[in-house]
Amino acid sequence: MWEKVIEVEGLVKCYGKLVAVNGVSFECYRGEIFSLIGPNGAGKTTTVEILECLRRPTSGSARVLGFDVVGGEREIKKRIGVMPQNFNAFERLTVKENVELLAKIYGVKADIKGLLERMGLWDVRGRRYYTLSGGMKRRVGICMALVSDPEILFLDEPTTGLDPQARRECWEVIRDARRMGKTVFLTTHYMDEVENLSDRASIMIKGKIVATDEVATLIAKYGGGVKVAVKGGKEVEDLLTRFTNNVYRDGFGNIIGVFNSKLEASRALTALYQYSDKCAAEMILPSLEEAFLRLAGGRIDERGELV
Amino acid sequence: MKGTFAIFKALTKVWLRSKTGIFFSFLFPLMLLLTFGTVFGGGQAAKYQLYIQNFDLDDNGEPTELSKTLIKALNSTESFDIKNLDVEVNITEYMRAHPSFTSYRFLIIPKGFQQKAMNKTVSARVGVIIDTLLKIEEIYGKYMDGESRQRVKEGREALSAWRNKTLTAEEAEILLLTEEGDTSAPTIKGIVYSVINALNNALVGAEEIVSVTSKPIVEKLLTAADYYLPGYIAAFIMTNGIIGVTSNVAEYRRNGVVKRLAATPLPKSSWILGNILQQTALAFLLTLIMLAVGWFVFGIRSLPDVYALLLIFIGAVTFCSIGMFLGGVIRDVEAAYGAGNAIAFPMMFLSGSFWPIEIMPNYLQTVAKLLPLYYFHDGLRKAMMLRIPQHTITSFIILGALAALFTVLAVKVTRWKELD
Repeated sequence: MWEKVIEVEGLVKCYGKLVAVNGVSFECYRGEIFSLIGPNGAGKTTTVEILECLRRPTSGSARVLGFDVVGGEREIKKRIGVMPQNFNAFERLTVKENVELLAKIYGVKADIKGLLERMGLWDVRGRRYYTLSGGMKRRVGICMALVSDPEILFLDEPTTGLDPQARRECWEVIRDARRMGKTVFLTTHYMDEVENLSDRASIMIKGKIVATDEVATLIAKYGGGVKVAVKGGKEVEDLLTRFTNNVYRDGFGNIIGVFNSKLEASRALTALYQYSDKCAAEMILPSLEEAFLRLAGGRIDERGELV
Repeated sequence: MKGTFAIFKALTKVWLRSKTGIFFSFLFPLMLLLTFGTVFGGGQAAKYQLYIQNFDLDDNGEPTELSKTLIKALNSTESFDIKNLDVEVNITEYMRAHPSFTSYRFLIIPKGFQQKAMNKTVSARVGVIIDTLLKIEEIYGKYMDGESRQRVKEGREALSAWRNKTLTAEEAEILLLTEEGDTSAPTIKGIVYSVINALNNALVGAEEIVSVTSKPIVEKLLTAADYYLPGYIAAFIMTNGIIGVTSNVAEYRRNGVVKRLAATPLPKSSWILGNILQQTALAFLLTLIMLAVGWFVFGIRSLPDVYALLLIFIGAVTFCSIGMFLGGVIRDVEAAYGAGNAIAFPMMFLSGSFWPIEIMPNYLQTVAKLLPLYYFHDGLRKAMMLRIPQHTITSFIILGALAALFTVLAVKVTRWKELD
């Protein structure tokens, strides 16, 4: 039932003395959106480029659709679609010409009109690539990756550098690709991207994978309990302590109570509001961000750096 | 093959939409052809400017007969554009007041030129008579009677005494002033000497013994554009390859297009072949446009034959593969562009594609013959203009070998994996 389309086992990639990927193992299943999440320099791109047959592994094995990345390049490349990091197409070719070029290279007759319409690019089909906005360029990239009707779609940081609106549009396109039956392998350093899109994810830090699981499981396991945060004095703290033993103050003047379930947390919240309707209390659900913080010992900032 | 053709088509479209590409590949060479073809294509040989300052005037301030004859003779050579300077003019001041890109040459005819020349002529002619009389005395004296011999001797002595007393043997001189570094000075001196020689001969009454007739060598009339055209075609196929391909290939690698293509089933060889095909098409298009303009504007007659076309093809492959090689080796786009320029421009001028290499110093001619472009334009000129294809064999061998070598190197250095 769960067909493995990517199998990676003890993968190592060294650049001279630098070990970029250090014994990585994971699997991806057909039809899922799988994310490789981590800060810049974690080895995500190196890993995905080995799977795309753009780099040779130093040791370990990687199989894509049953073909080894060493020796099976031709078979793999025919069956996958790729949008590389910092993707670019021929700047002075139009949207349509760029997509057509890829169809010709793969030697396929594709419904280019249908694809462009689906991706919301039909109206700009005659515009030259360099005149497009960042978000449109990425969508063209996804179109170019999809035109050969691949089994797996590799997207290396598909939304990095885009504004929130463009990112959401991009997510829609990626969800649509999944609806078309594609397996999507994406790398990212945005937690919300993973939470919004992915079925499963691997967290990668400094060349190693620290956890791989369904996103919901990762959050449940490492995301911490349900929290209630409230501002107030001694009385408020005492009130919270009646519902849970785990109460502390964070560095921003908040009193935090940690609960095992949303039900327990909501009882405490009700009590707080009964005490004072004006009290600013809120429930904080566990998140991937929290899980990542626990596993990696830091957060990823806007630029993708581990802090 | 399908992929190669797709790349060829994409690159061609990209190129056609690039304004700088069009300018440097077509418009710039066309501008050069039009400019040089017009400047040097006037139909007659250039004249040298020559200023003449004639001090040899008679009492009325008119030039003496002999000085007039000299100027007329110089004029009749059709080599000079003669300007007369007044005697009051100070040459140094004149040069300062009229700065010029062309070198100044002054011919100065001093006062007394005619007088001295006449004296010298009479003296020379009298000298001949005296010599003749001396010979008569020596050879025929023994057959003469004493009285006759005595008369001849007296006559000769009287003539000799008269000459020594009245005629000065001072030579008539003219002064030719040329600037240092004037490359035409030797030619001009030669022409002036030959005119003076003819004048000397005429003055002493010597007959011309050897004469020269001159005619153009080639029957059909080749224009300046006929000469420049093959050189421009060769030079710009070279720059398209070494500047254009080098920087494009480096830029495609930097901006990720190469990576995008490498992630498809397209083989690396198709990418290289697609580039070579595009450059070849560009080379033929350039040739066609240059020929069309050359034909309409200058009426050129040097149309390419099959050897020329083959040579254009091999040249395009050679310089495109050199470009692919450089673009593969040099990782940085700016550096690739700089290197392309640094190689192409000196090669363009040093190889003598724009002028006959015979006018360059010997050591530069040696340098020219070490450059691949030399064999390209030389072969093309021999095939197109001179119609001696049997002399293009060296060009075919050298360019063919370079094309093979650099295609192999380009395949070696173009990466389809581990791109950065």
